[in-house]
Amino acid sequence: MSEKKNGKGKMSVSRRSVLKGSAAAAGAAIGSGALTGFPTIWAQNIKNVTLRSVGSGVTHIPPYKAMAEEDLGFKLEFTVLDFIAIRTRGITQPRSFDMFEPTYNDFKKIWPTGNFQAVDSTRLKHWDEAIDLYKGPGKIWPDARYGEGQNPSTVQYTSAKDGKDLVKAGTSKWLTSVPSQHNADTLGYRPDLVGRKLDTWAELINPEWRNKVALQIFPEIAMMDLAMALEGAGKMTYVDKGNMTKAEIDKTFDFLFALKEQNHFRAFWTGFMESVNLMVSGEVVLQSMWSPAVTVARSMGVPAVYADLKEGYRSWTIGYMIPKHLSGIELDATYAFFDWLYEGRAGSLFARQGYYMPTPNRTKDFLSADEYGFWYEGKAASGDILDPGGNVLDRAGAVRDGGSYKNRMGNVAVWNSEFDEQTYLVDKWNKFQAG
Amino acid sequence: MQKLITLFNRHSAYFQVTPLMLILGAFLIVPLLVIFTYSFYEFTGYFTRPAFELTAWIRAFTLDITYLNYWATIKITAITWAITLVIGFTLAYFFVFDILTLRFKIFLFLLTVVPFWTSGVVRMIAWLPFLGKEGIVNSAIMGLGLSDQPLEFLIFSEFAVIMSYVHMFTLFMVAPLFNVMARIDRSLLEAARDQGSNNWQILTNIIIPLSRPGIIIGTIFVTALVASDFTAIRFLGGGKLGSVSMTIANQYNSVQFPFSAANGLLLLVVLLLFVGGMMRVVDIRKQL
Amino acid sequence: MSVGVLIIVIIIAVVGVYQWMTGTASAPRPAAATAAATGAATSSGASDEEGTASAPTPIAVREMARTKGYYIRWTVFVLFTAFLYGPLIVVMVLSFQGPDGGLTFPMQGTSIAWFREVFNPTFVGDFRAPFGRSLILAIVVMIITSFVAFLAGLAYRRGFAGSGAVFYLTVASLIVPSFLVSMGIGLGFTGLNMLASWWSAGLGAHLTWTLPFGVLIMLAIFARLDRSIEEAARDQGATPWQNLRHVVIPIVAPGLIAVALFGFTLSYDEYARTSLLTGQGNTMPVEMVAVTGTAARPSLYAIGTLTTVFSLAIIFLTFGILYAISRRRAGGLMGGGAVPEGEIYGTKLTGSAGTDQ
Repeated sequence: MSEKKNGKGKMSVSRRSVLKGSAAAAGAAIGSGALTGFPTIWAQNIKNVTLRSVGSGVTHIPPYKAMAEEDLGFKLEFTVLDFIAIRTRGITQPRSFDMFEPTYNDFKKIWPTGNFQAVDSTRLKHWDEAIDLYKGPGKIWPDARYGEGQNPSTVQYTSAKDGKDLVKAGTSKWLTSVPSQHNADTLGYRPDLVGRKLDTWAELINPEWRNKVALQIFPEIAMMDLAMALEGAGKMTYVDKGNMTKAEIDKTFDFLFALKEQNHFRAFWTGFMESVNLMVSGEVVLQSMWSPAVTVARSMGVPAVYADLKEGYRSWTIGYMIPKHLSGIELDATYAFFDWLYEGRAGSLFARQGYYMPTPNRTKDFLSADEYGFWYEGKAASGDILDPGGNVLDRAGAVRDGGSYKNRMGNVAVWNSEFDEQTYLVDKWNKFQAG
Repeated sequence: MQKLITLFNRHSAYFQVTPLMLILGAFLIVPLLVIFTYSFYEFTGYFTRPAFELTAWIRAFTLDITYLNYWATIKITAITWAITLVIGFTLAYFFVFDILTLRFKIFLFLLTVVPFWTSGVVRMIAWLPFLGKEGIVNSAIMGLGLSDQPLEFLIFSEFAVIMSYVHMFTLFMVAPLFNVMARIDRSLLEAARDQGSNNWQILTNIIIPLSRPGIIIGTIFVTALVASDFTAIRFLGGGKLGSVSMTIANQYNSVQFPFSAANGLLLLVVLLLFVGGMMRVVDIRKQL
Repeated sequence: MSVGVLIIVIIIAVVGVYQWMTGTASAPRPAAATAAATGAATSSGASDEEGTASAPTPIAVREMARTKGYYIRWTVFVLFTAFLYGPLIVVMVLSFQGPDGGLTFPMQGTSIAWFREVFNPTFVGDFRAPFGRSLILAIVVMIITSFVAFLAGLAYRRGFAGSGAVFYLTVASLIVPSFLVSMGIGLGFTGLNMLASWWSAGLGAHLTWTLPFGVLIMLAIFARLDRSIEEAARDQGATPWQNLRHVVIPIVAPGLIAVALFGFTLSYDEYARTSLLTGQGNTMPVEMVAVTGTAARPSLYAIGTLTTVFSLAIIFLTFGILYAISRRRAGGLMGGGAVPEGEIYGTKLTGSAGTDQ
């Protein structure tokens, strides 16, 4: 009985302090790590907070956690899962974490469950500075391509704090998630084994590379890559490669079956590491790949190139969602985390792995001019380019594959998407594997 | 109090088996009931919601994927079974009749078991550097001049999947076979030999018939393990191969829970029917 | 997937250790087992040849050991073992990959950088917490499995109505596709609005995998336990508890150790049943699969190598203990190697003595 009372007492204290805290939070400089200006109790209590976050191996890495804990003063627990598992967890066990970092193409499956609460964009200190990709325009620069498929801005906003719907970007202050990384994907290849420069997606289905090509095992992504290739080769046209009709799926699969017959594909990979292994071990010379995977392959002494293809890129973005159960000081802590996330230090960590964050101007403050030139502006490096661990990624004089931020993210052909006909697609995919 | 103790003693078997029943009830029967419930839910195309409809079951029986999958699974299971049976029988025979001291038996067993102490996940990753184009095996083959091209079917193929099953599951065949062979009365063999039987006759007329229970138990192990695997087939099949479990996993991963549930239960029923049939032939309990 | 442990345990526990220990099993035994029992009883270091040189040699045994088939089977064994070792060798070699190297060949020099990375993670996942979880989970699973399987063994010894059904349920637990168990428990927890975590849902899922093996082994052990020993104890006035404590438990102890070892390993390496149930904390295998989604480096192999070495240490330790027990038992039960001549079944083993050493 007395224990219960104590518990209640504690709770009311934290409630009160939270109210004070959030009032002060808006103006506080958290990035520096100095918590001056916060009411002491709040500052004390938030130190006892532990935020449990689940994300992919792309982001949930030890240096990130260490950096955040150092600057924020509270604890983070990182759990790494693949994107499919993150999505499944979000749908079936939302209470198991305080923050989820799924990909945007899973939002149409995750958001309607009502397992997550919307983020108040007016409480985010740096939301105004975030790029327009996530807002009304749906593109970073006015002259950028909007891209087929599911543009991030279309799943960014919801109508209310507990909304289950998706509304037009900018028509509400409620965000489904706080965007973190985005990037542009294309094909990776081995110039030493290919013997020439590749400049079109059509190479993916070029019989020259028979049994030396790999795709991703996720049906939608594989379909979109194949669609890029088929369109590039002039064999098919699509209304929307990011949301194919049944007829388009059928036709694409006809090509896929034919390619399987000819033993065109060496493998379909599941994870980052697998794709690196395929490339480093010489199993494939050309494959659908993630940018940092190419970088890693190169750091292992393999001359891998991330192709800059004329048809454009297949892009993606990820972001943090907050499950419904979170409230009080923990919820405040997530907002503090998001503000910190956009401060630029985290941005620099991920920039050095080739990813982009929504506040590039702040990321710039934490990168050297040479680094910013290399990662964002497509300039030749004047010194060695190091990864966050201090290993040399590229020597002086190197230019980033695909060049500048604008050249890559401004040329998005299609966004990673979930198809409306996904049931049909998965059936087809199962048949493709079994048949 | 005394009465209570007497009561307990008289029915102690029921108390003793209660923990087992509770655990299996909570973590096997209830979850299966949950899955059964889910198999009637509605999948909207993006998410699952409670309902009562037969869509998932109708799909499970009418889609041609189901039949393709069962054909693929049966084929792979049968090949794996045949190989593990031949190797398993040979090894069990070897351990029982060829190696005569127990300590040497134990030593050889340890030798075959050590590789399994490495994490299964790690071993799965290691297949590529072992069997890949630039892997150890191909380097050896090309180094010996047996081929001037790397053998590409060694990985990302049906061959690779079956090979990894043989790698993982053969010992499941060896164990029960060893168990039954070790109990064959040696005087029977001597008697047969005294009557002029040769080794082949002894093998076919005595050892194989007496090993039948071991074969059945091993078959059950191998079948159940192969049929429910979805990891090896994905990684070593290069994502190009399908099976019943692969489809179940794909559907689950696409959050099509009802479809996944119905297909999963169907697989379970098929397996139980198969095992039930096997157990009619041999009473496993007597063979333990 | 350390299924191999299953094998070693079933075989050694069920057939080997028990007979090795007691040397008095009533069922017909393989010649070799008895021979080894005799060997163990006479002197630990002495070869069986010396120990029982005077015993008669069954002709069948000797001749079968010398046919062409004998060499074929040896070849099969050697080739199969080499095949089993293939991936392990790759793991061990590549765990010494140079600091710039990857998870596949070519080697970029050699180093112990990746072992250092395991203990002091800098970039790729931190395995220390998952390792701790897996260790705790494996120990808990081990204890519960041994205890529950032992009790079930006792129950089956007495017999009870519905024992057949329980047996088939136990076998079914082995057959149910692991993915289904994981999915069912996960959805069940969701339905109850409970938080699935490695120590609740994960534990349950592991038990559905370890218990059937545990129960089957215990049944096998009890089936070989001579009832007359218990009856004798009872005749001498032992209470059921004394009977259990001083007669049954000591005799089935090696089997229990086997079940425990088994439970531990199956749990420690379990992936498919746990994958959907770890909650906030990944177990070791789940974590390993998760990091393959990232820039995983040869530290994975270093972990594989360390696991193997660690397991070897455990296995040797366990066998050391079993051996010590068996020595003590041999001294107690059989009066220091005084095995009645009639008990020795096939012992001289001249045929294989050469190959054995």
